[in-house]
Formats: sequence, C-alpha cells, structure tokens
Amino acid sequence: MGFLPLSFAMPAVLAGLIALPVIWWLLRLTPPKPQTEAFPPLKILARVLRKEETPHQSPWWLTLLRLLMAALIIFALAQPVLNPRERVAIDGGAVAIVVDNGWASAPDWDVRVATAERMIADAEAQNAPVVLAFTADADNTAVGPFDPQEARERLNAAGARPVPVDRGSAFARVADALGQMPGATVAMLSDGLASDADEDAFATLLADAGNLIWAAPQGLAQIGLMATANEPDAFLVEATRATNDTGLRQATVAAFDDRGRRIAEAPLSFAAGEAIATAEIRVPFELRNDFNSVAVDGQLHAGAVRVLDENSRRRRVGLIAQGDGDVAQPLLSPLHYIGRALDPFADLIEPASADLASAIPQLLEQHPAMIVMADVGNLPAPAHDALVEWVEGGGTLVRFAGPRLAASEPDEDLLPVRLRTGERALGGTLSWTEPQAIAEYPEGSPFADLTPPTDVTVSRQVLAEPAADIVERSWVNLADGTPLVTGARRGEGTVALFHVAPQATWSNLPISGTFVELLRRLVQLSRNQGAAATTGADQTSLPPYRLIAADGGLVPPTPDARPLVGTDAPVTIENPPGLYGSDEGVVAHNLLPADAMLEPLARPQTPMPVTDIAYGFDRQVDLRGPLFAAALALMILDTLAVLWLGGRLRRRPRLAQAASVALAIVVLAAGPVPDAHAQENDARPGDEEAIDAISQTRIAYVLTGNSSIDAISRAGLEGLGRFLIDKTALEPGAPVGVDIAEDELAFYPLIYWPIDEGAPMPSPEALARVDAYMQEGGTVLFDTRDQFGAGFDAGAASGSTLRLREILADMSVPPLEPVPQDHVLTKTFYILPEFPGRFNGSPLWVEASQVVEETADRPVRVGDGVTPIMITANDFAGAWAVGASGAPMLPTVPADPMQRAYAYRAGVNIMMYMLTGNYKSDQVHVPSILERLGQ
Amino acid sequence: MATIGAVSEAAAPRDALARARQRAALIPDLLVEARRVVNTVIAGWHGRRKRGIGENFWQFRPYVDGEAIARIDWRRSARDDHTYVRDREWEAAHTVWLWADPSASMFYQSKTASVSKESRALVLALALAELFSRSGERIAWPGLTDPFSARNGAERLAAQMLHADALPPRPDLSLIKRFSDVVLISDFLDPVEETQTWLDDLAMRGVRAHLIEISDPAEEEFPYSGRTEFRDPENGLKLTAGRAEMLRADYRNLYTARREALAVWARKLGWSYTVNHTDKLASDALVRIHLAMSAGGN
Repeated sequence: MGFLPLSFAMPAVLAGLIALPVIWWLLRLTPPKPQTEAFPPLKILARVLRKEETPHQSPWWLTLLRLLMAALIIFALAQPVLNPRERVAIDGGAVAIVVDNGWASAPDWDVRVATAERMIADAEAQNAPVVLAFTADADNTAVGPFDPQEARERLNAAGARPVPVDRGSAFARVADALGQMPGATVAMLSDGLASDADEDAFATLLADAGNLIWAAPQGLAQIGLMATANEPDAFLVEATRATNDTGLRQATVAAFDDRGRRIAEAPLSFAAGEAIATAEIRVPFELRNDFNSVAVDGQLHAGAVRVLDENSRRRRVGLIAQGDGDVAQPLLSPLHYIGRALDPFADLIEPASADLASAIPQLLEQHPAMIVMADVGNLPAPAHDALVEWVEGGGTLVRFAGPRLAASEPDEDLLPVRLRTGERALGGTLSWTEPQAIAEYPEGSPFADLTPPTDVTVSRQVLAEPAADIVERSWVNLADGTPLVTGARRGEGTVALFHVAPQATWSNLPISGTFVELLRRLVQLSRNQGAAATTGADQTSLPPYRLIAADGGLVPPTPDARPLVGTDAPVTIENPPGLYGSDEGVVAHNLLPADAMLEPLARPQTPMPVTDIAYGFDRQVDLRGPLFAAALALMILDTLAVLWLGGRLRRRPRLAQAASVALAIVVLAAGPVPDAHAQENDARPGDEEAIDAISQTRIAYVLTGNSSIDAISRAGLEGLGRFLIDKTALEPGAPVGVDIAEDELAFYPLIYWPIDEGAPMPSPEALARVDAYMQEGGTVLFDTRDQFGAGFDAGAASGSTLRLREILADMSVPPLEPVPQDHVLTKTFYILPEFPGRFNGSPLWVEASQVVEETADRPVRVGDGVTPIMITANDFAGAWAVGASGAPMLPTVPADPMQRAYAYRAGVNIMMYMLTGNYKSDQVHVPSILERLGQ
Repeated sequence: MATIGAVSEAAAPRDALARARQRAALIPDLLVEARRVVNTVIAGWHGRRKRGIGENFWQFRPYVDGEAIARIDWRRSARDDHTYVRDREWEAAHTVWLWADPSASMFYQSKTASVSKESRALVLALALAELFSRSGERIAWPGLTDPFSARNGAERLAAQMLHADALPPRPDLSLIKRFSDVVLISDFLDPVEETQTWLDDLAMRGVRAHLIEISDPAEEEFPYSGRTEFRDPENGLKLTAGRAEMLRADYRNLYTARREALAVWARKLGWSYTVNHTDKLASDALVRIHLAMSAGGN
C-alpha cells in the first residue's frame, strides 16, 4: 500500500482474500429460487425465450456485489488505518522536547503542539520521562523531567510569544536537565529561523544527547516589517522575508487606526531573489496621521505588525509671536494667517506666557515638530540656547520677518542667512520699482515640485546679505532674484525664514493659497521630537499600553509585561512589542530592527543519528467503521436486488409512481408552491365578518354591556334604517354592535355610542382605537341620553356626562360647537333647525367649522371634511327605536308625534352628512355655478 | 406469494381418466349453469329468421317465374293483381357438432379468472347443446355420440360425458358431413399451422365451423415478473425466465399474432372466430356464436 497512507493492524486477516474465488464459485452456483408458474401457452413463450439466455446462474453483477461485500468485510476485519502516524523511536530512556515558540511559530502553533503531543504519547508508551522546554520563555522556567501527563499539560498551557527565541538560555537549561540522563533523545521542534549564536547553543544542547529528532517547517513564509517612514508623499513600509524564499511574492500591507479599522493599504511585492521590499501607502497626509499600526495581510504573527507612535503622527507646531495681537482686530494679529493655514494638518501649541523667556521653554517641553516665530526680534539668551539645542536635535524653526526682526541683531544660529538691517520697499511712492511676483521655485528647494503662484506680489521684504551659499539656501525667490524664503540645515534640524511679515501688510502672500502650501510642506518636512510632555520624572520608564499579541493583534498589556526602560531596550518576554506609555503619549516598541534578516536555520552538523520529521496533525482514521457500513449497505442492496429478481417488488406501486409521490411529499414539505398558494392562502380568520360588514352600508353602535341599552340602540338603528329605506336612496344593512376593544371599527361610517355611566370605563387601548377611528375619518355619535336628567343647575352634570368627559379626556377632541344654523347638517336632506331625539332641547355638538366671514348670500357654511364627533343628550336611539311590528318602543318627551318625526329626520340628516360630507354645501352653489358657466 | 395461475387437477397430469372424472364432476353444475345462460340468451333471440321448409308462415313475396306454381298462395293473390308466394320459416333439422377441448391445458385457471377454461368450454358446449336441442336441431359430439335429436340434448350429452372414459385430445372429424355446423371450443394454443392442418379437412368438406377460443386473462396479459419458471401443464416442459416482465411485449405479440392468424383464416373460410375470456360472461360468447350461426344461414 505504498500509494495510500494505509496500514493494517492485523494484516494476517487479509489472507482471507484468497477465499474470494471460492466464494465466487459458490455464489455462481446458487441462483435465486424462481417462482414456479403453470402456463399453458408455453410453446408461444418458448419462441420468445429462445432469444435470451435462460439464466441458470446468478447475474454477474449480483455475484460481483456479493464478492465486494465479502472483500469489504475481510478488509474491515484487518483493522485498516488511514494516515497512520509515524512513531518515533525514543532511545536513551528520556526525551527532551525543545519547542521554538517565538513569533515565527505563531501561525502554525497548533501543528507544533500536535507534533509535540505525539512525541509525548510515544514517550508515554515507552515510559520515558519528558524534558519540555520552550525557547521563548522566561529564564527560570522549569524544564523537567516531567511525567508525560504533566508534560502534556505544560505543552497545552504554552503558546507562541511575540518575541524572538532565546535558544541559548533554553538549551542550557535542557542540557542541565539532561545531564543526569546521557544519551537521551533530543527533539528539536524549530521555527526554521536562525538566531544569533545558534551554533554554540546547539553544541550545548547536543553535548550529552544520544540522538536528535529534527522538525523544521517546510518553508518559511513569514514576512516581517522592519521599518516605517512617513515621507512627504507616501507612507513607506519596509518589509523582509526569509532569505531562502526567493520567488516573486505579492502581499498587501494595510494600515489601521487606533480602533483597528483598516484605513489604507498598499501592495508589497518582493522581486525574485530579493529579501527586502517596500510598500508605499499613498494616502493624504491627514489620513496618515491616523495610522496606528501597519500589518501584512494574512500574516498572523507579531513580526508582520508594526505599531506607530508620535514620530509618524500629526506634527505639533508651536507658535510664538512677540507682542500681543490685537484681539479686536484678528486680521492684524501676526499669528492669524499662520494659525489658519496650519490648523488643518497640525496640532498648534501656543505658549501660555507672552514672555519669550518662559514661553520658549514651555513650548519646548511639548516637543513640537516645528516652531513658527512670527516677527520675533532678539531672544533672551537662555531661550535662545534652548531653541538652538532643539533645532540641532531635529526641530524645524520657521521664522517670519517683520519690523522687529528687521531691527534686530543678526542671529547666525536661528536664521538661515545673514540679514541686512532694515527692510526693502518695492513700489512705494518714493520707489521706482514695482511690487515683485514670485519666480519659479529653484531646483533643490523643498517646494520644487509645487507650482509658483502668479497672483502673489511682494511689496516689502527683508534682504539677505549676499553670501556664497545664498543660492542654495534660497527656497523661494522673487522675480528679480532676491530670496523670499530661505532655509538651512542646523544639525538635525532646519531653520527657515520667510522674508516677509506674516500679515498681509508686506505682501499678499499670507492671504494666498500658496502660503498654505508652503507651510504645509514645511510641516511635512518636520519631525516630532519625541512623545509629548509626560510627567517628566518617569520619562525613562514607560508602562505597557497596547501590546502586540503572538497572532499580530493589539491587546491590552499582559501581566508579565514590564515597563519599558530606555528607548532602545530589546524585545524580550518582559518587554514584548507594542506601545508603551499612556493615553497622553506612547512610544512604539517594535519586534524587528531595521536591519533584520530572516535567515533559515540550518540543522546542526552532528555525528549522532538524526531523524527528520515533518510537522503535522494526527490524522489517523480507523477505517473499520466505514468499511463495515459499506458492507452493510451492500447487503441491503443485495437484498433489494434479490427481491427485485424474484419479482417481489413487482406488485408494489410502480417506482415511477412512488418517485412522484415521494417528490410530491418533498415538494410539499419543502415549502409552499407560490402560485397555488397565492390563490388559496390569503384567507384570514375574520374575513367572513369583514366581507359581511363592508358589503352593505351598516351603522354600528357600541356595545355597552347593558343589555337594555344595547337592545334600544339596536332597535333604534333598525328604526332609523327603515326610515332611511322609506325616504332616501340609502338602504343600510342591519345595525352592528361593536366591541370597541376588539372589533374592527373602520368598516362603519358612523358609530352610535350611548354613554352608560354604569358600564365599566373603556380601557385606554380601546379609547385609542376609537381615537384612531375618528382621526381616520370615522364619526362617533355620543349620546348621553340625559337631557332631562342633568338637573336644572347650569353647572350640574349627570353621571353620563361625567363619564363622557372622562372618555373624551383621553382623546384628541377637536374644538366643538353646537350645530350652527348654517351648518351643512341642517340641510343635508331635510331642513332642520334642531335635532331632537326622545328628548328635545339639547344641542347637537359637532366639530367647530372654520370661522369665515359671514356673507349674506352664502346659505351654508363651507368646510371640508366631516366632523369626527357628535355629542347629544337627546337620546336619538330611544326616539328611533321600533319594535318588530314597527311601533315605537319608547314615548317621546313630551309625547309629541312630530318630535319623533323630527328625530327621524335628524337621523336622516346625520346619515346623509356622514355619507355625502360637504357635498350638500357645494350643491347649494350649483345655480350660481351654472349661471357663471352661461347655461 | 401465490402463483398467478393454477391447473385445476391435483396430480397425474396425463391421467385422462382422472381428468374425465374431474370433468364429470363438473358437469351437473355446468348443466345448471348452461340452462341459466341459455335462458338469458333466449330472451333476446328471435327465432331462426330464415325462410325454408317448415310449418310456420314466414312471409308473402311476389311470385317469380320458374317457381313451382303449387307454391302460389292463391288466397293472398286473389286480393290484388299480383301473385304471391307464401314462404315458410325454415325448419329443416340441422346437425350441429359440438366439441370442447379436453386437453390438460384447458384446466388452467388464473387468479383473475372466475372459472377454468375447461369449465367455460363445457358450459358453452352444453349451453349450445341445450339451445339447439330446444330448437330441434340434431346435436352430436365427435368421438362421443352420433347426431341425435332430443328435447333434453344437453342432459343426454352430459350423461354421455359422465360415462366416457377418456376423450382423445383431437377428435376424429371425418364423420362430419357437409352442411353441418361444427362448434369447436378450445384454447387453440397449438401452433397455427397445426390447427389449420387439423381443420383443413373440414374446410374442404364444406363444413361450416365456429371456433371459440377460450382465453384466460393471465395468458393474454402475461402478468408475470421476476425470475419465473413456467411449466406446461400438457407435457410438463419447463422454462425459466430470468426476468419475466422483459418478455411481456414479445410474448403478447406472438400470442395475439396467433389469434389474428386463426381469425383471418377462419374468416377467409367463412367460419366464425369468437374469443371468450374466462373473466367475462359466458353469455357474451353464446350470443355472438348464435348471431354468427344465424347470420351464416342466410
């Protein structure tokens, strides 16, 4: 079985395969028993049968099936194992497992653990003690020997660390532990990367060893980031890879902000044979300031991540002016234009004090990248010295001319050129010269790639003394060749001078876009000078802030991380890579130095026997189960085949039918067929009632729960219905009692609500539904039925009225008025001056219509919409109520037949008003409209 | 699983005596059955419908030259200017030979059939015997009786059959004279050529034969499937089909081709060929055979 990773626990059983031919012979001899049938037309059948060979034996495929079944069972009995793991022979009574757990082993740490676990299992099988050491571990970690169980626990507790390996220390400890056990097996599970002093370390390790097991990764795929640089036009990321990884290689470098959001990326391509590549992230300068870390995509280890600190961030710019600017006139303030120009891309710092002697040290404490001095003349000596030291250390000092500078002593250290005292005026009344424009930026100037403006003119400037190097120090010249901006290096830093004032008095440069461009370029050229001022005393010891985990993620500090002392401390267990400092400022502590080389680790030359193994998971699979399952499946198949051959399946429903039935079941189970269900399934409970309610115009009344009131309401609406049928074109259906808490109200144009003080107060939800019904165009006719029950006192209110007030308190009721004489309700069918019910005298309250100017020729009030609410106390339903015979049920008060007739007419008017709205009020204009149309 | 078809006999497939006894045991029942069937048929059957020598008036027809003057019905002719001849209904006694195939294959009955083929054949034969006896024909059974005329012809035939030892599978047909009718009831499963050779003799002698094929639905439909061993009840030959359902189409082609060939041959000779399935009613065949016989008489 060389081509398959297959082995058998009991290969002897495979000899049973020899029996297969015998089984074949036996199977061929026993055909399935036929069904015997008497058949008179045998002679006819014989003519048909001659065409086919009469099978006296099993069909070949059935035999094959059974042979396969037998072979499968034999194979299964031999206990086959797929991917058998290689066993490592352990000599010398002990095994030392040394695992590299530095940053390079993080991506495939699981495989290393699995490999080490197998070794521990092998050691356990041979009862050998285990020495287990990790090369990126604290110096004082115990290495054993352990019993296998403890070793396994330690192995599982260990993890890759984002630090370089320290083989020397670990190997020394292992050698110590092996001292008592000479000739032990040493297993080195390396990460494949060479480190310093490997040779000595291996010599120590292998001094007493008996043999060596060597595991190294197949290839080194790690990409490490060595350096970053925030250049003016791009953010550069320098990366390296293993030196034996020589092919073309593409990767992506991404930049992340402080919340881990990916904000930029750039391709990283290694040329063939090159171990170093540079990615350029070309994004706007402002965006680059947000970079918090850069990482290589797909590289899950600490080496592929670099954190960035203030040095690559937004610059801090200090502003110094002499003499207070006039707050009332900011445009004349020397720092106004500078501040406006710098604000978008720099943090501006202004000293609290106006006194230069204290202001400059204050500024320098903030470690600004750049200091802009607007027309500052002579500096106090201590401040001057501090400033010079700062510039020498890398600061960028930008100065502007002005009357004070022009009048000051020449200052060699803090000015790029020697200045003549006094300034030069161009184009004044006493001058023949014209204001000068700006010439092309000279080669070598930091502004060389910018386009010079055409609209900037300079009318006054300070002049440089001619000197040999004046040309190379000139960054911007005027059209006549005199320098406008000069600059010079001073140590690590730069000094630049604008020969004009920072206000718009000497030139219009400060109010041009060029001014912003120039300053911005200068800011980009500057470098932040370390972290912003922290508490001072603790300057050299920074607590861990965010650390890079072994998998390359940024995590909060781990307990074993120690404060970082000094800026060039190595990356160790105590100082893992990451950001150190606090919220106010951090220092990046990165894993790989700028000159890092990822060299492959060579196996040490040693005379002792060496076994090479590969990393790998334990993928051993016992094949017995699948084989037995396959044999069982074949057996079922065989049974079915025998049944089929014997015709037993014949009488069953035909396969096609069965299949279609099964398909139908599947389809039904899988989900509704859209078309079929679109027609059937939109019926909902309650549809019947809804259709019933809307197929006829029906008047509704509120079920109060008091059966006599409900009966009167019903009878009243029925009586009104009869009257409507008699007199009008409206033929309402039978009245409906609605439960305002449950039933759908929207179907009814009018809901009659007799207020019963004895009924329970409707729930707020029910009132909300009624309110919504009214808002959506329905009308509720409240009837307190207490015209003569309220007493004679004007302020007295009956229980029903109080209840009505309670009910209406929770609703949005519009302003009400008694039906005015010209309201459309008085005219919709009958002309009615009042609306009596069983009682007379109560006004009918409706929504107040808009006040319009009364015009004599307008017979009716205009108004759109229908009142959502009507209130009466006249007991309409009582007047309308008729019994089965059509006779009135209740007497009117007073007992006046005309009052009942008027009550019905009131009902008719109300219904007409409900159904036609303001149609009637428009209708009264028909004569005049027709007249206007000339008909 | 039960087999589809069975042969009624239990043992001794070639024992003709046993078969005869078996047949004899069937006969009293079949006689009753035959009478019942005949009664249903008679209700819908209106005489011989033929002019000929007889007692009963059949029709008046105009006299044509050449006919015997004695045949003129003067009383009728006197009523108008034409001369009429009185025809009488044909009443001449006629010999009808009946024969039902007694071979072993006729004892087959499948599950879907209500009776065995032999039973159906005997019922038809006895029913015909009853019919013809009632109408005064002479009936005969080749190899069993000579032609005889009796009111209870069916019973006499049955009695003869009860006492017969063994009937030959192919009767001697040489006694059958010209103008006789022969009703042969069999399954006609032998090769068509054999049957034709056997019956050619009759055709040459001008005998009018009526072939009734009794067919079991299982023979026609071939509802077998799977591995099946087929056994011929006549000679015990066996055939095993691996997958019987694969043969169905071919078999049915041959089966119906045989029937078609026989039917075409019979029609060519002026004979009738009737198929009766044992899952259908016997009266179907009875009606058809009588229609065929009366139609052929014109």
